[in-house]
Amino acid sequence: MRRIVINRLFGAVIQVLIVTLLAWLLFYVIAKFTGASPAQRIAGKEASPQQIALVARELGLNKPYWQQYVIFMDHLIHGNFGFSYVQMRPVSQILWPATRATASLVGGAAVIWLLVAAPIGGYGGLRPRSIGDITGRVLAILGMSIPVFWLAPLVSYIFGYQPTQGEFLGLHFLPVGTSVFPIQGYVDFGQNPIQWAYHLILPWITLAVGFAAVYIRFIRTMTAEQLGEDYARTARAKGASTPRVLITHVGRNIAPTVTVLLGADIATALTGVFFVETVFGIPGLGYTGLSAIENLDYPVITAVIIVAAIIAVLANTVVDLLHGVLDPRLRRASGV
Amino acid sequence: MTTDMQAIDLQPSGPAARPAGLRATAWRRLRRDPVSMFALSLLILLVLAAVIGGPLAAHLTGHGPNQQFPSALANNGQPIGVMQRTYEANGTTHDPHGSLFILGADQLGRDTLVRVLYGARISLLVATSATVLALIIGISLGLLAGYLGGWVDSVVNRMTETAMAFPNLLLAVGLAVVVGPGLLNVVIIIALFTWYYPARIVRGATKSTKQMTFVAAAKTVGARPRRILLVHLLPQVWGPLLVYGTSIIANNIIFEAGLSYLGVGVPPPTASWGQMLSDAVTSGFYQADLTLALVPGLALVITMLSFNLLGDGIRDALDPKAGR
Repeated sequence: MRRIVINRLFGAVIQVLIVTLLAWLLFYVIAKFTGASPAQRIAGKEASPQQIALVARELGLNKPYWQQYVIFMDHLIHGNFGFSYVQMRPVSQILWPATRATASLVGGAAVIWLLVAAPIGGYGGLRPRSIGDITGRVLAILGMSIPVFWLAPLVSYIFGYQPTQGEFLGLHFLPVGTSVFPIQGYVDFGQNPIQWAYHLILPWITLAVGFAAVYIRFIRTMTAEQLGEDYARTARAKGASTPRVLITHVGRNIAPTVTVLLGADIATALTGVFFVETVFGIPGLGYTGLSAIENLDYPVITAVIIVAAIIAVLANTVVDLLHGVLDPRLRRASGV
Repeated sequence: MTTDMQAIDLQPSGPAARPAGLRATAWRRLRRDPVSMFALSLLILLVLAAVIGGPLAAHLTGHGPNQQFPSALANNGQPIGVMQRTYEANGTTHDPHGSLFILGADQLGRDTLVRVLYGARISLLVATSATVLALIIGISLGLLAGYLGGWVDSVVNRMTETAMAFPNLLLAVGLAVVVGPGLLNVVIIIALFTWYYPARIVRGATKSTKQMTFVAAAKTVGARPRRILLVHLLPQVWGPLLVYGTSIIANNIIFEAGLSYLGVGVPPPTASWGQMLSDAVTSGFYQADLTLALVPGLALVITMLSFNLLGDGIRDALDPKAGR
């Protein structure tokens, strides 16, 4: 067991290292050849080659690449993500609130998609080809096919913008100026938890739709499979009620796999976060990263990529390790 | 001795003949599934729309895909809506043939219908070429990793794991910013971020097929690794790949649209669905006329839906456990 844990942690460290190397290569080496280097960016478009060289020396960008990378990594390990030359403040100050906002968004969305998917998927697995199952499957395939960058503006339009025009779904019955949900904006949880949730409801739902679809299908297949197993038949034969069989017997067998899937999907969710954050104006990692890309603010872009990668790798690793704890069968298989 | 060799040589034709039977059965099952056939016909329509739909619509309406019609914008800059005609300044109708905007115009006065059809071209072109490129990379690495094992396998495995655990859109956008926009760049970027999917599938399939007797037989008769890889192992991985192939194309269509939406896809004025959506949303015009966001969005949703339904159908058809 210990060997597995050490192996897994070692793998996670390697993954983070690969990502830092890639991000650094992209923005500090490749960018130099495409004429979008950090020195060029700071010196400005009209800067002479001498001025650019001066800025490069100031930033230490004239040193050999390996030295630059070592310095870059040294700063990173000490929590120094550099200085944003667009926002004129240390990147670490920008990152922390952004990470909190993104975590609120992804975490809340995950709760919603699990709460929606578990009953629909479970029912579908229990009664295949029933009306409920078919409805669930149609909803799931629709949800899978709707791109989040289309859904986000639509949701914002229907629930945020339209009521302010006194309209809902094309029907004029509201007084003009009604505000059902905020169109944009974000309130930190520490400031006001109720406002925090109120501002995040639409973004949560938007982000959750695609994932709920995938989880409905997954939970449905798993439930159907588990119900065919001997233990489920035995439990039923003993007279256990259907909810009891589903929750205590089947649910416990599915939960570890769903947890692992959840860990892997954190990375996918961080992608969807871009669009949701920009449409709803949530100052999270995606929003920060995108505006940094527009401004070619390299320290911020690099930091956002690395932080996002660390979150994704961490989620994956924790969930993988947790899998061993949650699923006794794995513990035995690994010889502990 | 000679007879023994012949006996071994005949061996590969045994298992190799069976997948052909499975393939025929799968196709027969797929043909009987109305949902899959519906999805397939939608996809054929989409390809037709992409290949001839754009020029045809441009010819019939008399509007080029990038042609801007100032008369299609009202005085407040609001573009005209569905089935509306453009008028001369004095209030008379234009040439009746060229004045009708079937799906309205966008914020620059361009014909939405013509643009959405031309956009299908970009979507399909980018998604399929990126998929082919990703498949070439993925299949080669997967075959090598599965067949050779050892350190090659470890390296490929580590690479795919890293790629999977990674929110790749941000890096893709960063890469697009650094290397600059362009059709070929977008294709390469998408392929760079999707190859790991087929690689994992092929690696798994190769690993299990490698153990089969017909591979051992091929080795015994002196087949070189290259022949074993290409002639014996490669044909075996198509089944599992086919199921994922449809979802890879669908994901790449979304990927391309996402990149265009973020302004780093195929550069404007070339019409693409993501670009049209982004134009409608960032300009805010979609709040006054929802058609601007609905048309490219629905085009994306219908395409995705067709690919997803067909993928489900193929999976069911290939499932050996399902009734024949």
